[in-house]
Amino acid sequence: MRLEKCWFCSSTVYPGHGIQFVRNDAKIFRFCRSKCHKNFKMKRNPRKVKWTKAYRRLHGKDMTQDSTFEFERKRNRPERYDRNLAENTLKAIKKIDKIRVAREERHHKLRMKGKKAKEQKEAAIELEQGIHLVKAPSVLAQDQSLTLPKIKVKVQAQAEENQAMEE
Amino acid sequence: MAASLASKWSRVGRSLLGGLGNNLSGLSSTSHEMASGNFLSQQRTFIQMRTVLKVVDNSGAKTVMCIQPLKGRKVARLGDTIVASVKEAMPTGKVKKGQVVHAVVVRAAMQHGRFDGSEVRFDDNAVVLVNKAGEPTGTRVFGPVPHELRRKKHVSILTLAEHLA
Repeated sequence: MRLEKCWFCSSTVYPGHGIQFVRNDAKIFRFCRSKCHKNFKMKRNPRKVKWTKAYRRLHGKDMTQDSTFEFERKRNRPERYDRNLAENTLKAIKKIDKIRVAREERHHKLRMKGKKAKEQKEAAIELEQGIHLVKAPSVLAQDQSLTLPKIKVKVQAQAEENQAMEE
Repeated sequence: MAASLASKWSRVGRSLLGGLGNNLSGLSSTSHEMASGNFLSQQRTFIQMRTVLKVVDNSGAKTVMCIQPLKGRKVARLGDTIVASVKEAMPTGKVKKGQVVHAVVVRAAMQHGRFDGSEVRFDDNAVVLVNKAGEPTGTRVFGPVPHELRRKKHVSILTLAEHLA
């Protein structure tokens, strides 16, 4: 049994699943589910639809070049059955899969590097610019607990002064 | 011309199990050439009385109209035999306009369930003319035909066909 790839989303089409469309020039379009088939009928380009593999590869979301991808490919000549070979292949599949997952994780980690710092920076800017919508400026002038950490340091300094005065 | 040559080359790797390749390479090369607008206008229903079908052999007929699906049924699907009336024909062909012929549906726009549970669908509704014994009238068959015809005992159409799907 051959596991085909969906024309639209590039996922695996298992036997008995999906639909295939045969164009009059005998090109076969296989689809894993009706979602992909409908998108094809709407003449959508898989490179422009965000959830497809084609889009993710094109935009650097997924790992594209890796030696682990070399193992999975279409072979037109059927392999002669060899018990030892089959056994070793089954062992290798697990190992390769593990390596691939680890590499993909690493790729994702690298891609997400600096995301948290960026988010915090953006949140800080938003807070600074939009705090007057939550609290009136006059209230803020009295109690500065809702302002940025930067300003908070100043508040602490003032508090110390206040304490000193009390003593 | 180049496209037909390419499809002839790719035919080499095709097996009857429906394990027909492309896909990954298809994404890179053919994403712009989506299916032609033709199939969208094609009605995707059963083939029934008064359905006009294209004739994809060299018998001389161009279009036929279904006048009766065989086996006493109301509708025909992919691989079924129908009785049809020739609506358009070449003046030099074997069959003449108005003749009543038997024909096998080799392509149907309506999806047809395969034995493994998946489905197959074609661009248009097309037939190949046969005689009452089921032997094709023409000597050539154009375009892709499904491998289900083997089950329907139409191996001679399969051998004449250009492409298997």
